[in-house]
Amino acid sequence: MNRFRRQLFSGLFALIVATLAALWLDARFHTLANYAFLTGWVLLAGMFVLTIYNVRKKLPFLPLGKSETWLQIHIYLGFFTTLLFLIHLNFHLPRGGFEITLALLFVLVSGSGMVGLFFSRVLPRRLATRGGEVIFEKIPALRHGLKGEAETLALGTEAKSPVIAEFYAKRLADFFSGPKNFWRHLVESRRAASALVAGLDDLRRFANDADRAKIEKLTALVRQKDGLDYHRSLQLSLRLWLFVHIPLTYGLMIFTVLHIVLVFGFSGGAR
Amino acid sequence: MPDAPTILERPQRWDAAFDANMTDEDVNRLLFTAPFSGMDGGKFPKRTPLREIIRNDMRILKFRKGEIIMRQGDYGTSAFLILQGAARVVLKPDLAPSLLGRQATGKKGVFLTLAQLLNRSRAPEVLPRPILGQSSGVSARQNENETRVFLQDVPRILDRHRTAQMTAGEFFGEIAALSRMARTSTIFADSDDAELLEIRWQGLRDLMKYDDALRTHINKIYRERALASYLRATPLFKNLSKEQLDRLAESVEFATFGDYDWSGEYKRLAQSGSVRPEKEPVIVGEGDYPNGIVLLRAGFARISQKFGSGERTLNYIGAGQIFGLNEIAHNWHKKDAAVNMQFSLRAIGYTHLLIVPTRVMEEIVLPSLPKGELPPPIEKVAGDFDSAPPETAAREKVGAEVLEFLTENRFFNGTATMVIDLDRCTRCDDCVRACASTHDNNPRFLRHGPSAGRLMIANACMHCADPVCMIGCPTGAIHRESFAGQVVINPATCIGCKSCFNNCPYDAIRMVEVRDVRGEFLVDQEMKPIAKATKCDLCVENHGGPSCERACPHGALTRMNLNNLDSLSKWLKR
Repeated sequence: MNRFRRQLFSGLFALIVATLAALWLDARFHTLANYAFLTGWVLLAGMFVLTIYNVRKKLPFLPLGKSETWLQIHIYLGFFTTLLFLIHLNFHLPRGGFEITLALLFVLVSGSGMVGLFFSRVLPRRLATRGGEVIFEKIPALRHGLKGEAETLALGTEAKSPVIAEFYAKRLADFFSGPKNFWRHLVESRRAASALVAGLDDLRRFANDADRAKIEKLTALVRQKDGLDYHRSLQLSLRLWLFVHIPLTYGLMIFTVLHIVLVFGFSGGAR
Repeated sequence: MPDAPTILERPQRWDAAFDANMTDEDVNRLLFTAPFSGMDGGKFPKRTPLREIIRNDMRILKFRKGEIIMRQGDYGTSAFLILQGAARVVLKPDLAPSLLGRQATGKKGVFLTLAQLLNRSRAPEVLPRPILGQSSGVSARQNENETRVFLQDVPRILDRHRTAQMTAGEFFGEIAALSRMARTSTIFADSDDAELLEIRWQGLRDLMKYDDALRTHINKIYRERALASYLRATPLFKNLSKEQLDRLAESVEFATFGDYDWSGEYKRLAQSGSVRPEKEPVIVGEGDYPNGIVLLRAGFARISQKFGSGERTLNYIGAGQIFGLNEIAHNWHKKDAAVNMQFSLRAIGYTHLLIVPTRVMEEIVLPSLPKGELPPPIEKVAGDFDSAPPETAAREKVGAEVLEFLTENRFFNGTATMVIDLDRCTRCDDCVRACASTHDNNPRFLRHGPSAGRLMIANACMHCADPVCMIGCPTGAIHRESFAGQVVINPATCIGCKSCFNNCPYDAIRMVEVRDVRGEFLVDQEMKPIAKATKCDLCVENHGGPSCERACPHGALTRMNLNNLDSLSKWLKR
């Protein structure tokens, strides 16, 4: 069994054990008067460990272990705290604006984490299969270069084909103007680029030899641009979820602290 | 009408002389100096006459007392002959790294590591004054067009180290130059009028080829100083007695293949996309009679097999590895069913090797091996890929595409190559950020590079087994942290000459303009920015290993010795 499959199985096993343990504890201690405090404090401890993973990332020069190990712990603990969160809520929807906001933040942080996990397990393989590896930050410059090349071919001083110029103005100008088909690429649809290539293919009927060569080059440029859009779409998705996950984590932690203060304030700190 | 082609004289070997200032008087003087005075000019071919070898492959250098001629651990491409004055070799103990312009070794302590949190500057590549002005025990002086590093306190060195003086007529540095091994000693000028003749390796190779006395002299030195200990340490010869080892040492032949300065040529070929195994010098041809086993002493070689109209790579081997043992052992066992060489061996870049003749193998070595250590007889003959013996089974381990990719790009040179699994890499750049955080806010690599399938070799220093970047550093700033250790640059002694930057065939070294603590660029008296060479140092000062590898959340990045394909195969099959 390879390492990643082993990680997956050990993760699933840990999750099942944690679920059974949590459910048993829930059944066993549910009647305790301070049960909500117990689950709350355990939940807070779990959330704290989850949050400090980002601190580990900021201190790469300290010998704090491999980020890979931290991520595995982060994932398993993330599932566990989600379960604990439901137990803490007693499997009921919260009431009141503050509690609803707190719960919503938890759901969003947890949900974005799961989306991130799904993306990070699925999208890299798709990017590698597609090929044409490109650094995300270089995509705008490369796209600009392709646009310039396409414009010169279709509209430049040496371009003499009104058919190509018209097709460019109507269909290609917008395609080359910026990133396109974000969602289509994410769901692996090639329809948009195929339509453009088919349109260029149709132009061959009206083209002489010189124009056919230009159409070939334009087709190649469309494919390159489509490849860039594909990389942008998937690489952006691999980054965007973090822009939800991390800021909301800080919001969640602030609301959690306020929640503790309020709970203790209104319970008199008796427990 | 097409433009007329530009007509040039075909480039020749001596288009660029070692020293363009060598005069007829210099050459005449050297022709009357030993050992050249004893050489028979008639034995040299017309295309490479002795006079022209002296004029084009040699240069006369003058050193003042204390100036370092060569440093232990450096890689040099030339040998030296003392013409006048004296030089001194440091025997024991070795000089401290700081005296050779190198960085003080060792990991950062807990406090220094934690202090990194507070001391981090916002601007990249900030060099505080204490680093630039650190007292290293050496100083540099400009001598004509060259920078010379000199030892500041020679009497103290003489007092604390065992040394030996060498005088006019003595040779040194020839073994390291010919075998492309690290220099084994530090030598400095021992008189103010020291005059040395530096002979680049091409010239030395030709002199040895056409002058029997020099060849015998250098071979004798090689056998005495380097060969005996090397053979003793080779596992294949572990059962031999002293007498047998002596006989073996006497019968071993030396050979060099390929181009010593392969990095420049390789860069050119790689850019034109014409790196082809068929163009590499053949050491042993497929189908040849097995004349002996080949022991690689330095460099790399490709094991290939004819396939269609080309050659397909089966494996590559590096220093310490053996080729041809299977065929010789087979023929020793089955004299009536002898086979020829099953595969070709071709030099990649530069290869220095030893050949143990078949006769000696059959008489001494093979009988000394226990049955279990003898390779099994070859069952099938060439042309059948399944007949590949275990050492050529790399193709099956990592796949044909990956093997060709690693060989074409010469990545096997890397002992700590940054390998990225694109199936796992989320392109999050945590590795880049970790590197920048650890190294003055400037990442020392690019998370991009050539790829084959799911494998990408990032543009990071690979800490090569054959570090061509270390050839020619005038101050010793680029050096190995320890023998066969990480290749690092000491910013205090780097003078920004770009020698390593130009030599690196993998473009893994970058020149950066350094800043002061305020973030302002440091400039010289002419207001030109001061540049230093930077590259990955494998986080040699930090605990826990390279931060890039530790920072990868998905286990997609690793630092790996690509000379061992087993680890790559295991990693890919995780």
